Amino acid sequence: MKVTILPARELREVDAGDVGQLLKALNFHQDAYLVIRSDEILTRDVRLKSTDAVEVWPVISGGCR
Amino acid sequence: MRCIRCKAPANVEVRRHRSAFCAACYPGWFRNQVERTIADEGMFNRDQRVLVAISGGKDSLALWHALLELGYSADGMYIRLGIGNYSQHSQAAAEHFAGKRGLRLHQVDLKEEYGFVVPQLRNQREGKPCAACGTVKRYHFNKVAVDLGYDVVATGHNLVDEAATLFGNVIHWQTDFLGRQGPVLESTHPKLARKVKPLYRLAERDTAAYAVIERIEYILEECPMAVGAKSLEYKDALNALEERQPGLKHRFLVGFLRNGRQAIRSAAPVEIRECRECGQPTTGEVCSYCRMRERKRRQLEARKAAAG
Repeated sequence: MKVTILPARELREVDAGDVGQLLKALNFHQDAYLVIRSDEILTRDVRLKSTDAVEVWPVISGGCR
Repeated sequence: MRCIRCKAPANVEVRRHRSAFCAACYPGWFRNQVERTIADEGMFNRDQRVLVAISGGKDSLALWHALLELGYSADGMYIRLGIGNYSQHSQAAAEHFAGKRGLRLHQVDLKEEYGFVVPQLRNQREGKPCAACGTVKRYHFNKVAVDLGYDVVATGHNLVDEAATLFGNVIHWQTDFLGRQGPVLESTHPKLARKVKPLYRLAERDTAAYAVIERIEYILEECPMAVGAKSLEYKDALNALEERQPGLKHRFLVGFLRNGRQAIRSAAPVEIRECRECGQPTTGEVCSYCRMRERKRRQLEARKAAAG
């Protein structure tokens, strides 16, 4: 499936059966990202198809708060 | 996964609570968490005026949104830090949020009003201005709150920020900081505003999900000055542990606040006086903000002199 990683909008092609597997394949922690398909946030058990296009949004901010 | 409230397909899982919510039920759960935190910690009430420290990121805007939805009287304050495109984008996000809803957003422009920008405050050893940026923010948020008569300053610090700060303070055994860390910082001087963190029990992922579902347009890019910051390394380490032990960050932070902080708190009260230079509250003769500005002024003068 097509994966767009924000904020740089880096494009990746990833094979994964569900959202949890997608984050594992990207080596991303579950607590550090949201996976979004068609404006909808997906939980880690949602099945993904090879034709899906999803976005991965980072949620971590750092430095001085 | 199903929403624990309405059994519709879930959108947001909150693993540490073994819960999941659909997009319709989630904002209510989030605001309920904020409301409970405010009540449990006695942070403020609906008759008081709250100044929300706004960065343009998800946490501060989600906090401002939630407080308004809950019926609190909350204005925003944004500091123009002068960090290139990042500051332009974050200012635009803050102004867009306030303008769209007709809210009051106070602003301080460091360059225009004080003659410097945050990138000039880089620490010569670490090459980062993050600590100095924190001093700048604390100084101006406090000053504006006191000058304009707000009852309290609310910041968007979340569970992960607080757990990472605690982690860093433990690693370096910063007992002074450990003794002071908490969701409420009481005012101990007439010129020192009360400070609260209503999101401290909510994770970064929770506030991001709230912002996405409520269609809050926040700045997604990271502050370029924070790349490689220790706080990000601590968060990464904690998130790696959380992956296998859901709820670890919550237990670490809440356990410290309940059991650890009392043991560390210094018995001797800290004396607060007014800075000789600017009159703002400080523990020394001259506050850290004025010391920092003076250091920078001397550095610039020395550079000018060396350049001839």
